[in-house]
Amino acid sequence: MKVFEINGTTLSLVLFTDVTNSKELLDAMQAGTLEPEVAFLNASLIPDVFPILAAAHKTLIAKSRESLTTRTLHSELVYNYSGSKHITESLKRCGISDSSTYVLAARFNASLDEMKAIEKLINGKEIDMEELHARANEAQIQKHYKISGPEMGISSLADAITCRIASRDAL
Amino acid sequence: MEIKADEKDGSLVLLKQGAEARVFEATFVGRRSIVKERFSKKYRHPSLDSKLTLKRLNAEARCMTKARRLGVPTPVLYSVDPVLHTLTFEYVEGPSVKEIFLDFGLHGVVEERLNDVAMQIGDAIGKLHDGGLIHGDLTTSNMLIRNGTNQLVLIDFGLSFTSTLPEDKAVDLFVLERALISMHSSCGNVMDRILAAYRKSSKQWSSTLNKLAQVRQRGRKRTMVG
Repeated sequence: MKVFEINGTTLSLVLFTDVTNSKELLDAMQAGTLEPEVAFLNASLIPDVFPILAAAHKTLIAKSRESLTTRTLHSELVYNYSGSKHITESLKRCGISDSSTYVLAARFNASLDEMKAIEKLINGKEIDMEELHARANEAQIQKHYKISGPEMGISSLADAITCRIASRDAL
Repeated sequence: MEIKADEKDGSLVLLKQGAEARVFEATFVGRRSIVKERFSKKYRHPSLDSKLTLKRLNAEARCMTKARRLGVPTPVLYSVDPVLHTLTFEYVEGPSVKEIFLDFGLHGVVEERLNDVAMQIGDAIGKLHDGGLIHGDLTTSNMLIRNGTNQLVLIDFGLSFTSTLPEDKAVDLFVLERALISMHSSCGNVMDRILAAYRKSSKQWSSTLNKLAQVRQRGRKRTMVG
């Protein structure tokens, strides 16, 4: 687990592989019974923590202005990470599905107890955040974020994703 | 549990002030960054002012990221804030091309480096123009050379727009040519080297350079006589 600070709010991240109960997690989340509230992200689309932090920054600003686009703070994080304006599609692709096994869990301002509870919720093996880079699915990322060949020549995947997250609402 | 704090998020240091915007140095979730704030113009009607400011803010963000998609390095965009009218992007470490060329003027030209920089400039502009993007303010102070990699990074897309007209591309090049002549005449004819690289990089070089010859005759503004 790693904790980051963004303008006075903390964001706790835990990375899991070999997750076996993603269907349960998804059902609980959609029913709104997930306790504590947490964001589950499809970690194969995450090559680095920086784009997550940029999406979290954007989420917190929207929250402070009471202008969230989605229903909860944590779904907003997933939506913002997608870099797209299509909410359903974003949550499907960047969130978890029935068959997800590689998952990043994120929670804002989590207490130690809450993080322990989250770790208990997920049946999987916790791994180091350093693994993100090696485990990312490059082809899937290029397809989802529409990253062209010329851009790949001058930019890392993480930077390309960050630009799309930041510029989404300007398009 | 370890906490990774970024100490000085939010503390801004003013770097430059222009007619349209102020530029600050800041920290964005732990990374050194630049914040560009477009301020409101008090002489404009408030509703027009906010519309224009927002339109230009979004246009700049779009053009910056479009340039990257065309394979031209620009600072990584971190955030766009439509309420505060700010753009936050990567702090690029390295000197501007202006500083490098002025140094050539003082201490003698390093041919190899000059060629490399001119080649990168021509190549970058060729890629932008073929993608239909006009920078609008090509001067040597809007070009940085990244420390370590010596990669050319274009900045300030505040006057950028999309166009495929040879006229707009020619004027873009002409503005750069004038800037080079007035600032860096001691470096020899850099523009020829830039144009040589442009020719290799842009598929539509021929119509643009023909137009450039016309623009040179009459200047940047079209004569509207007749």
